[in-house]
Amino acid sequence: MEFIKKLQDLDRRWIYLIIALAITIPLLIPFNAPTYTTGPTETLYQMVDSYENREDRAILICFAHDASTMAELYPMEVAILRHCFERKVKVFTLTFLPTAAPLVNYAIDMVKSEYPDVQSGVDYINIGYKPAALYLPIVVGMGDGIAEAVKTDAEGRKLETLPMMKGLNNYNELRLVIETSGASYAMGWVTWARSRFGVNVAAGVTAVMAADAYPYLQTGQLSGMLSGMKGAAEYEYLTDVFAAYQSPDYPNGRPFSKELLKDQDVIDSIDISKDWDPETKTGIMYKWKTARLGMNAQSVAHMVIFLFILIGNIGYFAERYQQNKAKK
Amino acid sequence: MFEIISNLIAAFFTLAIFSFLYKDNPFYRFSEQLLVGVSAGYAIPLVWQNAFIPFVYEPIFIQHKWYLFVPVAFGLMLTLRFSKNLSWLARYPIAISIGMTGAGVVLSMNAGVLVQMRSAMQPIDSLNMLIIFVGTVTVMLYFYFSKAHTGLYGKFTKIGIWFMMIGFGASFGNTVMARLSLLIGRIQFLINDVIMGFIK
Repeated sequence: MEFIKKLQDLDRRWIYLIIALAITIPLLIPFNAPTYTTGPTETLYQMVDSYENREDRAILICFAHDASTMAELYPMEVAILRHCFERKVKVFTLTFLPTAAPLVNYAIDMVKSEYPDVQSGVDYINIGYKPAALYLPIVVGMGDGIAEAVKTDAEGRKLETLPMMKGLNNYNELRLVIETSGASYAMGWVTWARSRFGVNVAAGVTAVMAADAYPYLQTGQLSGMLSGMKGAAEYEYLTDVFAAYQSPDYPNGRPFSKELLKDQDVIDSIDISKDWDPETKTGIMYKWKTARLGMNAQSVAHMVIFLFILIGNIGYFAERYQQNKAKK
Repeated sequence: MFEIISNLIAAFFTLAIFSFLYKDNPFYRFSEQLLVGVSAGYAIPLVWQNAFIPFVYEPIFIQHKWYLFVPVAFGLMLTLRFSKNLSWLARYPIAISIGMTGAGVVLSMNAGVLVQMRSAMQPIDSLNMLIIFVGTVTVMLYFYFSKAHTGLYGKFTKIGIWFMMIGFGASFGNTVMARLSLLIGRIQFLINDVIMGFIK
């Protein structure tokens, strides 16, 4: 009883230390926890997948966050960009936040380094930073013409002169907007682009915002959603299982299949505990599994927190029992 | 070499921010203020390059679109808020901004209210729909304060409280996950970018 009482008065710094260890150890010693995918992630993945090799379809990723939420949102952006580059899906990147501008470049450079054939202006266009004051003119204006609403890309080139723009005019072709955000869960795009032009809007949100975004997902106003690090881990997994999969039968990846996701052989074949070996070409590169490794640590930390809540409650009830006993 | 140095600087400031968990200290305060300063400092040249030059300087002074002085003047009027005598002039650009926001009310009503309401008024043909129906009605009853929450009515509002508690629990669970994710991101940086980068 004395021990439980002591636990009740435990200095919070010990708890911080234990949580830090619970996170650090699984990151130092990675293990292969299975990743189960959820409906909203699968829907988004399939939507992006459906634009494979299409000259007249494109998606837009709007980076609406700064470095503070990078841990959750950045792996999503990397996974989506990788998916696009694997499947040759035309992609625009854009941000209205000055502090997000370097993150856009960072994400593109990181993914592009593994895809030497991918070219700026041909396979993707980084529109880069545009002032927030132009949010409305750009979001609404792209409904009439992308190249008129956004005159130049991040490198100062006129959009209309870029090869990728051939066949891409407005939201009739730019069919999907994905906003990765720690706050607004893509409501601006839903309000202005979806309501007026019927464009599909999906959101990559921090876990804090997920509960607020779910009603919009349920009503279909959000076509798909990645929720926090878990959503990023799911998208990474789907990309590994399908788009980035390579075998003699499927040299350019395999198509999405719900059945394959339940196949134990497929589950076992994706082992995040093994690093990429360039000689044998097995394992997974660290940058493609950041969120999944993070989810390992997340799971352990959740168990520890659960344990703390349990101990705290036992301590609380034990103390109350003793107090009641003393009163009698 | 540059990457190692920049990672070491980032690692120092990460640890300096974490030091607050032990107790408040000058390293933490310095890092916090530097973050604010760097963010603002970074934004200024970027806005200058991407907003002022292409949308003000080039159109007006190179292409001679003089009419653009009107919106620029309105923008400058915002700064008059700091003047005691002329601060009233700042109300005009603010009024225009609010008017612009008002233009979105119709579409916001559609996306934020009408579509959401329409989707909540579906036939109760599954258990999920029944749960949504009971939850929506009982929570709305809870927020009707013109009637005392007693008797049978009070029992319904209590169900509403339970629904809200479950909602708050889900939100809190997600919040815990989000905060841990931020810590995981930093520790991943320290392990993989800093320590491993140094070893390699």
